[in-house]
Amino acid sequence: MRAGPVGRAVRGGVARRRVQTIVIALVLLISTGASVLALALVVDSSAPFDHSFAAQRGAHLAVVVNPARATRADVAATTRLRQVTATAGPFAALSIAAQLAGQAGPNGSLPPMTLAGRPAPGGRVDDVALQSGHWADQPGQLVLGVNSASDVQIGLPLGAKITVLSAPDHPVLTVVGEATSVTNSADGWVTPGEITRLHTPGTPGSEQMLYRFRDAGTAAAVRADATSVRAALPSGAVTAVQSYLTVREQETSQIGPFVPFLVAFGVIGLVMSVLIVANVVSGAVVSGYRRIGILKSIGFTPGQVVAAYTAQVMVPALVGVLGGLVAGDLLAMMLLRQAANAYDVGQLSVPVWVDVAVPAVMLALVAIAALLPAMGASRLSAVQAIAAGRAPRAGRGYAAHRLFGRLGLPRPVTIGLAAPFARPARTAITLVAVLLGAAAVTFAIGLGSSLNRVVGGLSHAAAEPVQIYRTSQNSFIFTAAQQRTVQAALAAQPGTRRYVAETDDPITVAGLTGEHPLTAFRGPAAWTGYPMIKGHWYTGPGQAVVSTGFLTLTGKSVGGTATIVLGGTPIPLRIVGEDFDARSRGVSVITDWQTLADAHLGPALTEPGQYDIGLRPGVSAASYAQSIGARLGSSYSTSLNTRNSVVVSLMLGLIGTLTVLLALVAGLGVLNTVVLNTRDRVHDLGVFKTIGMTPRQIVAMVICWVAGTGLVAGLIALPAGIALQHLVLPVMASSANLGLPASYLSVYRGPELVALALAGVVIAIVGALLPAGWAARIRTASALRAE
Amino acid sequence: MDADIRSGWAGAGGATGSPADPVIQLSGVTKQYEDDGPPALRAVSLDIAPGEAVAVMGPSGSGKSTLLNLIAGLDRPTSGTVTVAGQRIDRLSETGLARFRRQRIGMIFQFFNLLDDLTVADNVLLPAQLAGLSRRQARARVAELLATLRIEQHRDAYPARLSGGERQRVAIARALVNRPALLLADEPTGALDTATGEEIGELLRELNSAGHTLVLVTHNPDLAGHYASRTVHIADGLIFRNDNQPGAGQPATPAGVRR
Repeated sequence: MRAGPVGRAVRGGVARRRVQTIVIALVLLISTGASVLALALVVDSSAPFDHSFAAQRGAHLAVVVNPARATRADVAATTRLRQVTATAGPFAALSIAAQLAGQAGPNGSLPPMTLAGRPAPGGRVDDVALQSGHWADQPGQLVLGVNSASDVQIGLPLGAKITVLSAPDHPVLTVVGEATSVTNSADGWVTPGEITRLHTPGTPGSEQMLYRFRDAGTAAAVRADATSVRAALPSGAVTAVQSYLTVREQETSQIGPFVPFLVAFGVIGLVMSVLIVANVVSGAVVSGYRRIGILKSIGFTPGQVVAAYTAQVMVPALVGVLGGLVAGDLLAMMLLRQAANAYDVGQLSVPVWVDVAVPAVMLALVAIAALLPAMGASRLSAVQAIAAGRAPRAGRGYAAHRLFGRLGLPRPVTIGLAAPFARPARTAITLVAVLLGAAAVTFAIGLGSSLNRVVGGLSHAAAEPVQIYRTSQNSFIFTAAQQRTVQAALAAQPGTRRYVAETDDPITVAGLTGEHPLTAFRGPAAWTGYPMIKGHWYTGPGQAVVSTGFLTLTGKSVGGTATIVLGGTPIPLRIVGEDFDARSRGVSVITDWQTLADAHLGPALTEPGQYDIGLRPGVSAASYAQSIGARLGSSYSTSLNTRNSVVVSLMLGLIGTLTVLLALVAGLGVLNTVVLNTRDRVHDLGVFKTIGMTPRQIVAMVICWVAGTGLVAGLIALPAGIALQHLVLPVMASSANLGLPASYLSVYRGPELVALALAGVVIAIVGALLPAGWAARIRTASALRAE
Repeated sequence: MDADIRSGWAGAGGATGSPADPVIQLSGVTKQYEDDGPPALRAVSLDIAPGEAVAVMGPSGSGKSTLLNLIAGLDRPTSGTVTVAGQRIDRLSETGLARFRRQRIGMIFQFFNLLDDLTVADNVLLPAQLAGLSRRQARARVAELLATLRIEQHRDAYPARLSGGERQRVAIARALVNRPALLLADEPTGALDTATGEEIGELLRELNSAGHTLVLVTHNPDLAGHYASRTVHIADGLIFRNDNQPGAGQPATPAGVRR
């Protein structure tokens, strides 16, 4: 079928303006990809647990049943309760003690693990996500639960073997896969038959049932659901119940502080993508005004002109959007998998509506950005359109040429610097594109630095990289003898710089609901890495350092007093400092151990549950942990305080990826502008070459067309990016009930500022290099013939 | 034309080599723009001596502008050699050609090819600045040329405000600022009225009298007859006639025949 006149005009326009066609396609590809990634990130980060929970059909309740007290029929009856919507199980379950095969002694010991026997990972409830390897399908195989929230680093690779010490004959299991359950329903999975093999005869067995309910949105609803299940089973059949809300609370508190920053950056990324797309597309149509005039002069109606020009832009835009959707999904899948690990949720994915909404919005944006100038051109007469599409109006830029001509710079440079003033509208659009790109870079650098400090402040990994706990299943409190043992070991261990015993108790606070953490240190502890926002660290008993959320919610302030209740005993405290602490949604208290002793509380509330250790400079935390662990033996376990570094690495990776994409799009916007300028001024380029401008001088001149604009954009973007960082971070932090120490905002240093100020000119120069080279290679004779 | 104008041309650059050597030499030059299309020039050979004024005449599409572009180094031959002022310009790089043009060639175009966003003075100054002349020297040279061409009153005006004749004077001043040995003019009076065209023609004759070698592309036989000492006729990419002036009467010669 022959193309009509509009189709031919579109085909000719697309083919003839190859560079512009490619630029539009690339800009849409990158912008769409960045938007898919940013939006998926925003959506999934705003409630990562909820998204993952929904995607994996997480269990509202995990119920452990004693099979000796409840028959299969009893258990089956619970699946028919009115409020139950789906169930999985019963799965035979077992707690095991294990060690690395072939490594007896403390070095090989592993923490206790709960295993469940499941024939397959999928199901209507608790759809376990296999991350690597394969599901256990034979005896002797183990799928390990990936649980980055674990305080003990297991880190078993595929193929690792463990000896189950708690089972008869000490069988060996081989790790064949890694998987995640959004509610951590088990530490590992084996075949159902394996549970029987691992079970010690004579000991009580257990079975795990997983439930989803019609109404489980609140703690009260979940409690009611648990009550109904318990009531449906014989008395004493239920030995344990875990609500998903407990897991959700834990995960949310871990990642809560970081999410708002990521959301802010994701939103900025989306806005930038949209603005740059509009910039490039409208510029592409405006540059075609002369051709529009010619089409009109040969008989195209205004409607045909609009159709031709809109279609000419939509063709590459569609290609770019589809490509960007695929690329964005692939990139998002990769990064969201890491995010899920860092967030410690099972699985995150790109919501389907994102895959529909982003392309639709992008294409609509392109259509509008193309339609508006095309409709404007269609209303002009042919002569007016041709005139509008020619070189800039006489009179524009004269003063700039005079001014720059007086500078003692090489003439090609001064001509190039003055050129943007001849096309103020196009220059403004380019300036905005570069400004956004440079502002994104500035904001991202600041955000990354701030996040680094935030995570350092939350994890205290720099101050206390190693912690020691008890491994007893009965009590985690260190007895007096154990305290002496640990202290002696720490004193003898090379690399120990300092340490402090830490007691953690749940307290209630007058005026606040629920329980909140109290930390009491026995010894000097100001070094443990809690960043101070106001006031100072406590200097004696009866004093406390509290978090921002505590002050906000109680209405107290530094210098005031507050009463906490621990073990039923009210304890008055004088608030001497405010610190940066995200525990319990930003509500926490730190005090001296003597405060608890003076309140005459029992050892269960006063004795320490962990030791925090600071290392000498240059000492490897991993080596130290292994060494002290060997010294102390299997009654104690060591932990490396590095979990949150995974989160911040992910955050920085995501921010870096988005920033690079946005800077790339800004650079493409510059490239497009320079190509348009080159086309406008091709005749002038011929004249310059005729009178003796060398190719290198042409390149310098063309780069200067945008370098000045880039420099100005960068100089504006620097304070804008910094202001954005200063504005966004405190707002986002307060949404998580956090205050920020001043040092977390003032992260830009002198040399960094200089480099960031040049970000705009760098983006402009990089975007201009390619078309500058093309301009230098233009055939002079052909250029002179151009109108 | 009066003496002060003649003196204004003082210092015209000379060609290298002995007076007998041609300042422009084309040998077997062919130019083909498209592989399957007819060549714009076919094995053309032409010598032009220093100080000559040669008109190149032919109908539209005959290859006369292509010939001029090759001499100016604005384009490259598909085959053959182009030697200008003793230099094989067909072998020069783009940078070399740009530098060569600055020093040796002044170009004058039918539609002036001035830069609209620079003043008259800045337009004339630009080649001198590109050639590295000091600011003072360049400005002095510009003032001299504007005065000689009687357009000094327009030095701060923009080309859009000038008449055709005034613009062509500006273009001539720009072409002369670096004292080139060669002046190449492509239809210099084509966009001008008759009277103005005659003025410009006179200017060109003066320049030739002062020592500049002049190659003039035109379709106007009167212009060729009045201001050139020799006319080369070109058609379909071939030189088919090479007349001396006055009294052109030599028989037609096969294409590419040297004088």
